[in-house]
Amino acid sequence: MAGEDFLVDPLGWTILVLLATSIILFYRVLTGPTMPDRIVGLNTITTKVVVVIALMAGFLEEYFLIDLAIVLIMVNAVGGLILAKHFERGKKDD
Amino acid sequence: MIEYVLLLLGAAIMVLGALGILRFPDVYTRLHASTKCDTGGAMSILIATALIIPAPTMVKIKLLVLTFLIVMINPMVSHAIARGAHKSGVKPKGEVDMYARDNP
Repeated sequence: MAGEDFLVDPLGWTILVLLATSIILFYRVLTGPTMPDRIVGLNTITTKVVVVIALMAGFLEEYFLIDLAIVLIMVNAVGGLILAKHFERGKKDD
Repeated sequence: MIEYVLLLLGAAIMVLGALGILRFPDVYTRLHASTKCDTGGAMSILIATALIIPAPTMVKIKLLVLTFLIVMINPMVSHAIARGAHKSGVKPKGEVDMYARDNP
């Protein structure tokens, strides 16, 4: 399975579904009423991208991509915590 | 067979979580949809991937480590975002008053 049967494999269909939901969530990121709404959308998109990278590692049989997914979820944790700390001392303005 | 059921379940939960983030009224209900659906869907899809792929055992263990990290990190970040949003002055839209509902 090296890419030519993308629409035959169930992993390829799951990748397409996750990419479609990420594109849907970009509406919330672009037009969120407040700033925490955008952060929620970005957090969800990052988790979906981590799952897509792990699925691509299984689909293409390139197993080093799983390490990249682990690093991305750790960066997501640090970024989310820093943004939350930034909100605690900020005002309500967008 | 069970791995394909887990894969379909995870994709369905992810789609429902995205719809919840689109349609819910304020940031706290959106966090509710985001946390549950994202963590559960990612866990289900990653366990299904670890069952499907023809890989050495260490690769499957790495996928399980990734599942563990998502389950630990995602609720923590959501909790921090909710705390920061409440301290920065974002109010929830709904008002819960169970006593007035029960005693009209």
